[in-house]
Amino acid sequence: MSRLWFVPGQLNATESMSTSKKVITREEWEKKLKDVKIRKEDMNKLVMNFLVTEGYVEAAEKFRMESGTQPEIDLATITDRMAVKKAVQSGNVQDAIEKVNDLNPEILDTNPHLYFHLQQQRLIELIRYGKVEAALEFAQEELAPRGEENQSFLEELERTVALLAFEDIKNCPYGELLDLSQRLKTASEVNAAILTSQSHEKDPKLPSLLKMLIWAQNQLDEKAAYPRINDLSTATLEDPAV
Amino acid sequence: MENKQAPVAAREDPFDLFKLSSRWASGEAESSSLEIEAEEIPSHLNTLNSSGMFHMVSTDKMSVQYVGNPQHGYDVGAVQANCPAPTRRIAYYFEMTVKNAGQKGQVAIGFTTKEFNLRRQPGWEANSCGYHGDDGYLYHGQGKGEPFGPTYTSDDTVGAGINYSTQEFFFTKNGELVGTVSKDIKGLLYPTIAVHGPNEEVTVNFGKQPFRFDIEMFMFKERQKQEELIGKLTLPPNVSHWIVRSYLLHYGYQDTVNSFDVESGIMSPHIPTPQENGFKEHGDAYALNNRKILRQLNLQLIRNGDIDSVFCKLREWYPQIMQSDTSVLCFLLHSQRFIEYIRAGNLLEAVNYARTELNKFFSVNPLNNLLEDVVALLAYENPSKSCVAHLLEPQQREFVADAVNAMVLTTNPDMKNNKECEISSLEKLLKQLTRCSLERRSLTGDQGEAFDVRKLAENVSCR
Repeated sequence: MSRLWFVPGQLNATESMSTSKKVITREEWEKKLKDVKIRKEDMNKLVMNFLVTEGYVEAAEKFRMESGTQPEIDLATITDRMAVKKAVQSGNVQDAIEKVNDLNPEILDTNPHLYFHLQQQRLIELIRYGKVEAALEFAQEELAPRGEENQSFLEELERTVALLAFEDIKNCPYGELLDLSQRLKTASEVNAAILTSQSHEKDPKLPSLLKMLIWAQNQLDEKAAYPRINDLSTATLEDPAV
Repeated sequence: MENKQAPVAAREDPFDLFKLSSRWASGEAESSSLEIEAEEIPSHLNTLNSSGMFHMVSTDKMSVQYVGNPQHGYDVGAVQANCPAPTRRIAYYFEMTVKNAGQKGQVAIGFTTKEFNLRRQPGWEANSCGYHGDDGYLYHGQGKGEPFGPTYTSDDTVGAGINYSTQEFFFTKNGELVGTVSKDIKGLLYPTIAVHGPNEEVTVNFGKQPFRFDIEMFMFKERQKQEELIGKLTLPPNVSHWIVRSYLLHYGYQDTVNSFDVESGIMSPHIPTPQENGFKEHGDAYALNNRKILRQLNLQLIRNGDIDSVFCKLREWYPQIMQSDTSVLCFLLHSQRFIEYIRAGNLLEAVNYARTELNKFFSVNPLNNLLEDVVALLAYENPSKSCVAHLLEPQQREFVADAVNAMVLTTNPDMKNNKECEISSLEKLLKQLTRCSLERRSLTGDQGEAFDVRKLAENVSCR
């Protein structure tokens, strides 16, 4: 039975080459993967790039010693950058602003969005700790003039000030501003700006490589059925669906 | 060459020597690298395959002049480049300058297939495409064209290109993009220029002179468009973090892992600890336990080159991988011992060592080739400046340490398939990415740029 089916099936495949997908078995694919040579030093560079960009200064130093990979940037600069990031993450925005200015005053001068977001974060922290009067004063003196310059600043300012209208700020419609994720967002914005000022890419290469993998697999899906990696963290090949 | 590619000599070694690193015989790794293969690029006009009496190509093969007496549509002088446009790139482009448009200016630029009738204008026939000077029309496979751009005449420079990522032809005039049109022709395409009237003369530029059009910027923007699309994809949270951690574990960078964990706790409290995460470390858990032992070994190996004690300990702890004394692992360790003698300047001891421990590998294929490189260190007064100097670099020690590491990982009794744990997740992902990109290119007529991890890692540093 299977032989009878097999022959016309094969003919069909050759006739409609352009429309039907090529099927690559696991065995063929694994053989092809084996021929792809990835250099250890390239992987080391990618890992070092991740550690440096994300600010793992100790780990980067240890990695330099253990693997002999040279970091692409002076590791001392990471320490300063991380101190700023940490200050924002723990809510010490004023401290963070001073530290950024110590590093390079041009960073805030040339990034009005960043400066606004830091000030906004400062307002959020004041509201978080119930300092209503200080919050009002700060909003009026520092933030309102900026909102007049820029429509998107104004909208964000309004959302933030709206927090003052609620007693239970955590459960109000604008409560998400109090989430840790808001601090992290601001912190990563500062981090990126400092990296850019040091002529370093603001994002590590690894995540974009992973995105490229997803993209490359999607693109190849149009042409062929082959073993995919669907779970990036385990990198397990999954059999093609035929 | 071929026997060098063959992976391993002794059967009990399940790993591929070349998989571990390209440190060894770096020249070879070079040749197996993907994008190095050069494609031929058009450099001059083809004078062998010609339309006959209607045109004359200059002696430098860069200009064409019409010399016939045009009566009809079958006495065009079309000339192709010496070879087809290369395809393994994001775009190809060339230019033509009209030196003399004659009376009618019936000059044209475009692309044609190999079988094209050179007595016709590019675009008039099937499987060809051309931008014509006299009417500014685009001709795309038939005698009737469509309005496309401005006309061009004497002293104008026009260009024709193929954008492989969008599958389009594009044309330029005097450095400005005129327009694009979809490319529906399959197969290799030849840059083609044509003249069709008395005194008409054109000169071609395949890139030896700077182009009027900024093709670099064009390609940069094309790549950027692609990157933007890719940037919009989303990843599972913290996946990079776990891949990096698993990589560090895999290769036994224990100090780095420790710092990494401490720092993630401080800096990124939102990332769960490895225990909380339930992230599968499969082979790596076994690796970690063995790592405590291995770490001492690797430190000795990497920092001090103390191979003797590594041998001792491996024999004691992992007798199963030290059974054969002609295994790749033994070879690597013995070679490293020899290299350490050379480094210390103990040439006599090196010779003695070679005689007692290394010479047996001369009969093991393919290790004999590698061994020749190692022993060649003896031949140089200053080996660190010789062609085998890479053997003395610290990375060579790391390479050997990785080999020991990989070997120990294969002793994990829980892993049914040793292949699984030999390679880090990061390497698996990079291989998959490279392979997918190559596969797709080969399924689209070998067109476009393929991913090359090496290029990417090399410009990892500052912009």
